[in-house]
Amino acid sequence: MNTPNDNDGTKKSVRSLRELSMDIPPPRDLWPNISAEISKSAQTAGGAGKSGSRAMPSRMQWLALAAMVATLAVGMWLGRTLFPVNGASVQTPPVAIIDAPGNVINAAYLKDPRYIKQHAELVRSLEEKMKSLPPDTQKKVVASLDTIRKSIADIQAALGKDPGNALLQGLLVNSYQDEMRVLTAVHEAGDTGREI
Amino acid sequence: MTLMASSSTGDQIDWVTGLIQRARKGDQHAFERLYREFSGRVYGLCLRMTRDPGNAEDCAQEAFINAWRALDKFEIRSSFSTWLHRIAVNVVLSKRRRVSFHAEAPLESAELAQTEWSLDTPVEESEIEEAIAGLPDGARDVLVLSGIYGYSHGETAQMLGVAEGTCKAQLHRARKLLQERLNMELN
Repeated sequence: MNTPNDNDGTKKSVRSLRELSMDIPPPRDLWPNISAEISKSAQTAGGAGKSGSRAMPSRMQWLALAAMVATLAVGMWLGRTLFPVNGASVQTPPVAIIDAPGNVINAAYLKDPRYIKQHAELVRSLEEKMKSLPPDTQKKVVASLDTIRKSIADIQAALGKDPGNALLQGLLVNSYQDEMRVLTAVHEAGDTGREI
Repeated sequence: MTLMASSSTGDQIDWVTGLIQRARKGDQHAFERLYREFSGRVYGLCLRMTRDPGNAEDCAQEAFINAWRALDKFEIRSSFSTWLHRIAVNVVLSKRRRVSFHAEAPLESAELAQTEWSLDTPVEESEIEEAIAGLPDGARDVLVLSGIYGYSHGETAQMLGVAEGTCKAQLHRARKLLQERLNMELN
């Protein structure tokens, strides 16, 4: 490992850890790469960020877009099954939970006993139910769940870097709710799958 | 010439605050000045935590990019250097987690957790840096942050996301290992 004195050939002796230099200059200038990266972010955001109006980082925008696309696709696909008419729909946790502050959002949603129970039941019934659906409908279900689960994985990865990000947490909850809607729609579909 | 060398601490804080405010408005030149001022401190921490110059470069670079993106969240009253260090520690830990999920054995002892040690006889800087680099991740992280960069147990524990007791125990472990490696007492 290089030390602060490696470059000038001198050998410094120390008697305490505090005498070790806090600064070790990087062997090469990192600024060109940093500059390129932040310029890219600024361009994606439509110009340099200003206080109070700094746009979302590009990755965040991408994730928001991906989640929106997933939601839109699921919404269109489900059509009116989003609001089942038979009144026997499985309840999903309340949307208001999205407004809960900070890190509690994910935990509150995912630890909700209703969610855990209903999710487990729906996943159990999915495989059985799928066998009775026409191949085209099966493909739609698989594609939709893949899209949503990929979106969940991406958002979780981004949350790993920025755990306190309320927008990402909201997107994650939305994605879990989308998954529940799909599972519920499959659960409630007749053998023809025409409702889907 | 760095801002640090050219002015007193109070003036430096004003300089840094001014640069941060300009950078928040999108001024990349101001942010470059901040990079020039703090790159050594951030890279130094990353190098000591990662033990690998290439990794340390990546981490330092990512830390500055993350800092640029989060400048609005920085509270002017606090230390910019500490804030940058927090970001750098997060980057290093996050990269480390991606590479390995290996968990170190829990430590029970939290005794003798002083952070300032002196050596019986002077040791070459490179020799002590090598000894530090040879420490296990957890012990090295704590030693670097508290022993070299002077953060308190509380600050170190917060940066690393561990309990203060764990932090003290890791430091105790680091001290014992360092004594063994340097073959001398640390007082």
